[in-house]
Amino acid sequence: MDAVEKANTERQKRWVKDQKVGEGTYAVVYRGREASTNRKVAIKKIKVGQFKDGLDMSAIREVKYLRELRHQNVIELLDVFSSKTNLNLVLEFLDSDLEMIIKDRSLVFLPADIKSWMAMTFRGLEFCHRNWILHRDLKPNNLLIASDGQLKIADFGLARDFADPGYKMTCQVITRWYRPPELLFGSRYYSTAVDVWSVGCIFAELMLRTPYLAGESDMDQLKTIFRALGTPTEQDWPGHTKLPDYVPIGQFPKTPLRDLFTAASADTINLLSQCLLYEPRKRITAKDALNHAYFFALPYPSHPSKLPKCAAQLTAALPLEELDGNTLNGKTNNRLKRKLSSPNETRSAIARRLDFTKPTPGS
Amino acid sequence: MANRMNWLQGKTVRKNTPTNASHSRSSSTPQVHSTSSTIFGGGVKDPSGRITEYSSEDDQCPVCKSDKYLEKKLRLLVSSCYHKMCESCIDRLFTLGPAPCPICNKVLRKLAFTPQTFEDLGVEKEIAIRRRIAKEFNKRVEDFTTLREFNDYLEDVEDITFNLINDVDPVGTETRIAAYREANAALTLLNTQREEAYILSLRQAEDMQRKEKEARAEELRREEEEEREEKESGKREIIERLERAEGTDAVSVVRRTKRERAEREASRKGVAPGGSAQALLRARLAAAAATTKDTPHIPFQDDYYAYDDMFVLQPIYVDPTSEAVRKDREGIMRAGGYRVEEAWERAVRSAVAGLDLWPLDAIPHPLGVDQGGDIIMSAA
Repeated sequence: MDAVEKANTERQKRWVKDQKVGEGTYAVVYRGREASTNRKVAIKKIKVGQFKDGLDMSAIREVKYLRELRHQNVIELLDVFSSKTNLNLVLEFLDSDLEMIIKDRSLVFLPADIKSWMAMTFRGLEFCHRNWILHRDLKPNNLLIASDGQLKIADFGLARDFADPGYKMTCQVITRWYRPPELLFGSRYYSTAVDVWSVGCIFAELMLRTPYLAGESDMDQLKTIFRALGTPTEQDWPGHTKLPDYVPIGQFPKTPLRDLFTAASADTINLLSQCLLYEPRKRITAKDALNHAYFFALPYPSHPSKLPKCAAQLTAALPLEELDGNTLNGKTNNRLKRKLSSPNETRSAIARRLDFTKPTPGS
Repeated sequence: MANRMNWLQGKTVRKNTPTNASHSRSSSTPQVHSTSSTIFGGGVKDPSGRITEYSSEDDQCPVCKSDKYLEKKLRLLVSSCYHKMCESCIDRLFTLGPAPCPICNKVLRKLAFTPQTFEDLGVEKEIAIRRRIAKEFNKRVEDFTTLREFNDYLEDVEDITFNLINDVDPVGTETRIAAYREANAALTLLNTQREEAYILSLRQAEDMQRKEKEARAEELRREEEEEREEKESGKREIIERLERAEGTDAVSVVRRTKRERAEREASRKGVAPGGSAQALLRARLAAAAATTKDTPHIPFQDDYYAYDDMFVLQPIYVDPTSEAVRKDREGIMRAGGYRVEEAWERAVRSAVAGLDLWPLDAIPHPLGVDQGGDIIMSAA
């Protein structure tokens, strides 16, 4: 065993994988613990092998950027190790995301709550931008909420560093509803303004409790945007007609945001409109947004500990011991368990394992 | 003082007349007693009726010398040369077409006479001039590159206005205005349209608010109606049950019906989304007030921006790699929001970052605690 492998197994021993909590296209997420301190973590196991050129691009991106970022409002990458052919990322464990909270109809948001979430989002985003990283996939689903209420930006699978002289970037990023018009028009040279648009959409969604610009296709997305904010003129957005995928889309009049956000204060409307400006160069930057009058006006942003939490989060706060107990007895048991059951049915797996203590009729 | 207060309240002020409660005029809006066959409009237009036409007990027509004492219906109007005349004089002098003003000999037309709004005719004149000037000189701050230029322009406008009001060099001033009008016709038109659009949007907003208010009132009325109907049907139910003699005695029948109705009402209220959300909101507000105090917003929670940059970014660099972006011949990069300045800033910042630190000084913490977010290696 060479030194690298040895170091890897040492790292691997630091973490215990418990229960599967979710599965994405390129990764499976497990709940885990740090063996020595029992600190809760999330372990993201990257599926390797199904991609021809080795690792998936997004895994590389995630490791590359999270490794360098440490901020209160950005998810923390604690460790990286490999097991057999898999790559494992050990991340901070966060039990809910903003989408769950927005969808939970039993919760009521105060203007101060929205202000607090927005401030935390902008702080995390400003930190990324300050370090020359575009997130490129901001949406409520990727804004995770810690148990103390802190909001953390997660999922850097589409992140990219920017401000390099003239390399083309892809325009097929950001979930459609949160994608800015310059990307929909196929711009290959863009900047931090794309993330700010997404934050603007999230801001509106927090107020409306439903996605603000929900288009059904890329074309429909543009139409939805224009219907909501008016078709941009050459004056609003100089040069947009020259973008690669530009197509003229009907003329829609400008309607004031006030019509939809009737209860919002003037500052709120102002910040929102500045996040949703067509001209990317005029769109507010994360740094300027944090200095916007909206954040200084009364009411003060809610203290993170007072922000509304959804029911899932409250139950997750309960101790996990009864769940953990059965999977703790060393590696062999762990492997056995995994072979006997599908990963998301931990409870049934436990029951079956208990059955082995009795003589079963089949064996 | 009392007179001035009256004017603020929108009453017509009568010169040297003590205003008292026993005054003959009943309403604060004076009726216009016109002696002429022509109804003269104009003056300050105010749909709320707060601003009224000015008239006083001492009014006397300078042309025919008839006054309020003899001629109760005397109404003085102002000409475009700011001389007053009574309506009968105007009719007499100008019905046959334009004629010279009996006071200053300027040729006047009948329709150019307007009612008087202000006691001081100087004010009347200034307002008319300012209104005219504002219509043509309507540039905005956005139309200028520097604030200085805008201020100079405002001063010019004020100069022209002053000249017009005080009749200083009228010919020269008019040529100045004409020259300006010619030079800025397009911009003036654009600004007029902008102004109109703004007024329209204000009106729409007002409309929207009014409609909302009406909708709310309607909702309230409907709810009240429903409640009343509910009550009535409850009463009917009790009577019906008593008639059919359900249950053993009358008291229990009444009690049971009432209880059922209360249950129904509660379930109805629970379903109503407005009610429950309101209750939740109230609960949250109460809870928020009871726990920790919120603190004012602090933009950044680290001291990243407290440090001075160790460099000054130049407006342009010799940079062959970014030439394509800077030239942007097809214009496809501009609209995407890409800035070559960012690339330069990043390059310069990375080059000078940490230059003032001693080697190894920058990592005093074993775990690489955040020092502005650059390279953090976790100790494993």
